Amino acid sequence: MIARLLRLVASLAALAMVLAACGGDTTTSENGDAEGDAGGGTIIISGSSTVEPISALVAQAFDDANGTASTVEGPGTGDGFARFCAGETDISDASRPIADDEAAICAEAGIEYVELKVAFDGMAVLTSPANETVSCLAFTDLYALLGPESEGFQTWSDANDLASELGAPNTPYPDAPLTITAPGEESGTYDSFVEIVIEGLAEERVGEDSIFTRADYSAEANDNVIINNLAGNDTSLGWVGYAFYVENSDAVKAIEVDNGESGCVAPTEETIADGSYPLSRPLFIYAKTTDMSDATGAFVDYYLSDEGLVFVTEAGYVPLPDDQIAATRAAWEEATAG
Amino acid sequence: MAETTSTAPTTTDLVRGTLEGRRVNPVNTLVSGLLLIALLSSLLVLAVLLADVFGKGWGLLTERGADFLTTPLSPNAVDAGIFQGVMGSIALTAIVIVVAFPLGVAAAVYLEEYAPTNRLTQFITTNIRNLAGVPSIVYGLLGFSVFVNLFSGATGGRTVITGGLTLALLVLPIMIITTSEALRAVPTALREASMGVGATRWETIRHHVLPVALPAILTGSVLTVARAFGETAPLLLSGAVLSLYFAVPPEAGFVSLMTEQSYTALPMIIYNWARQPQEEFVALTSAAIIVLLAMLLIVNAAAIVARDHFERKST
Repeated sequence: MIARLLRLVASLAALAMVLAACGGDTTTSENGDAEGDAGGGTIIISGSSTVEPISALVAQAFDDANGTASTVEGPGTGDGFARFCAGETDISDASRPIADDEAAICAEAGIEYVELKVAFDGMAVLTSPANETVSCLAFTDLYALLGPESEGFQTWSDANDLASELGAPNTPYPDAPLTITAPGEESGTYDSFVEIVIEGLAEERVGEDSIFTRADYSAEANDNVIINNLAGNDTSLGWVGYAFYVENSDAVKAIEVDNGESGCVAPTEETIADGSYPLSRPLFIYAKTTDMSDATGAFVDYYLSDEGLVFVTEAGYVPLPDDQIAATRAAWEEATAG
Repeated sequence: MAETTSTAPTTTDLVRGTLEGRRVNPVNTLVSGLLLIALLSSLLVLAVLLADVFGKGWGLLTERGADFLTTPLSPNAVDAGIFQGVMGSIALTAIVIVVAFPLGVAAAVYLEEYAPTNRLTQFITTNIRNLAGVPSIVYGLLGFSVFVNLFSGATGGRTVITGGLTLALLVLPIMIITTSEALRAVPTALREASMGVGATRWETIRHHVLPVALPAILTGSVLTVARAFGETAPLLLSGAVLSLYFAVPPEAGFVSLMTEQSYTALPMIIYNWARQPQEEFVALTSAAIIVLLAMLLIVNAAAIVARDHFERKST
């Protein structure tokens, strides 16, 4: 009886082992036309979930051509740098430049790296298509509606006084409920929004300790939930990454953003690349140059090639203009030359 | 029956009323109605869920067929499959069975058959029951600090061994509890009879107690393993890759796959796909959920077959 049971357990385990061992075979890709001189090896990539789709597409194409085995994760820019500076990853995806405290940890661990700008991501300020009264907002408007001082505002018009005090150009706001859904604090999209829109005014008015948005909004990690909430509420307000907006442009309406110079600008690929749309950010990969493996070197070479950068567009982001591509390639060459 | 002049109802009247009056007891009807509604509403939720998932995913699953199971992950929704997830989940489940089943059964046998009943064993039993109720994310944290960091030399850090051991810890208390209950259900007379003819304690357990308890132990264990199969939270922390794309080297052997390479599991893929914005991933997510449900059904069916098999053996 017991022996039979043991045999059952053992055969289950053996089955799993065989299956797991087969795992290697079917993920194999033909060792065909080599892109570089990688010749096998593993590359671990972690970091921003915004950059993840680009890196995943690049990694798949690179693995297919070279027989390497890459792992691409997207836990977030901050988590990515934590693992990068602990020496656990080869490349860190980032939707913002590395922060000073993160750089200090890397320096302490003796990990050197090079920052490579690979794409642009625009953020779109969104509302429901049914919201016809609001079509353009300036940073001051956004601060009045979403900044730390707006806490407790239940309707758009609650922000009128604060907005006129700031000299915001689009007052008065409609007397309608203000329901906000946006990414939570753990998200890189939240960080970028705060840095671009909120930081300057908040520092000046409330102090350095209050550089965040109002806390009383519904924070969602899942962008699809954000889109659903914004679409389902006539006078909603929120923001998401440009790629998510493009995917759902029939369900939500993008509010134009006033850049303070040429007026209201709608988020499009052109306005993001030429810098006229103010709510956009560059995307980076950070490559570890300390003890860099051949595979990682060849991978970054491929990433920055014309063939590799095609995946920026494929993943729904805005490609760099030519002069910025040249600058990124120059930075990579300089980092690997020494 | 004698007529009474009293206006107050007598016992006789009450009995007659009950016997001759309306057969329907309003309270009874109300309660059974409410209970039926409770049952139907939970079934309705299940039906809506299944209809939703099958509506979105069935088309993709029939179109791609077994390909969906054998194709690896891809950031291109069109080519994406769940191969690594299926393999990872099977490997995790195997580790859970190999580690938690013998440990859990052994611990339960000791607690029920050998341990004296005193304050200490009561204290231990209570703690095991409490452990069974600890949220799975806490086990994830434990797995992270113990298997990923402390014993990274043995487990290789973020590997399938780490995930499997974490899940094994998670289900161990439940395994012990279900086995204990199965052992307690074995009649004491059986043990007394066996010992009465001179069998030792171990002989009694091995030849009489365990065979009788085995069907119940197996059923409980498989349900427990099924729980581990669907867990996501502990894996998030114990190193399963949350990823649109990863590969393992084709030449990697068994040891390397267990202790060096990245891994993921089916629920992790479902979670990751569900957060993607593209329309195509909705169908992929639902198709992966159907596969997960199917695998769970197979596991549960295997439990029933095994139980019947051993039940027949023991009688």
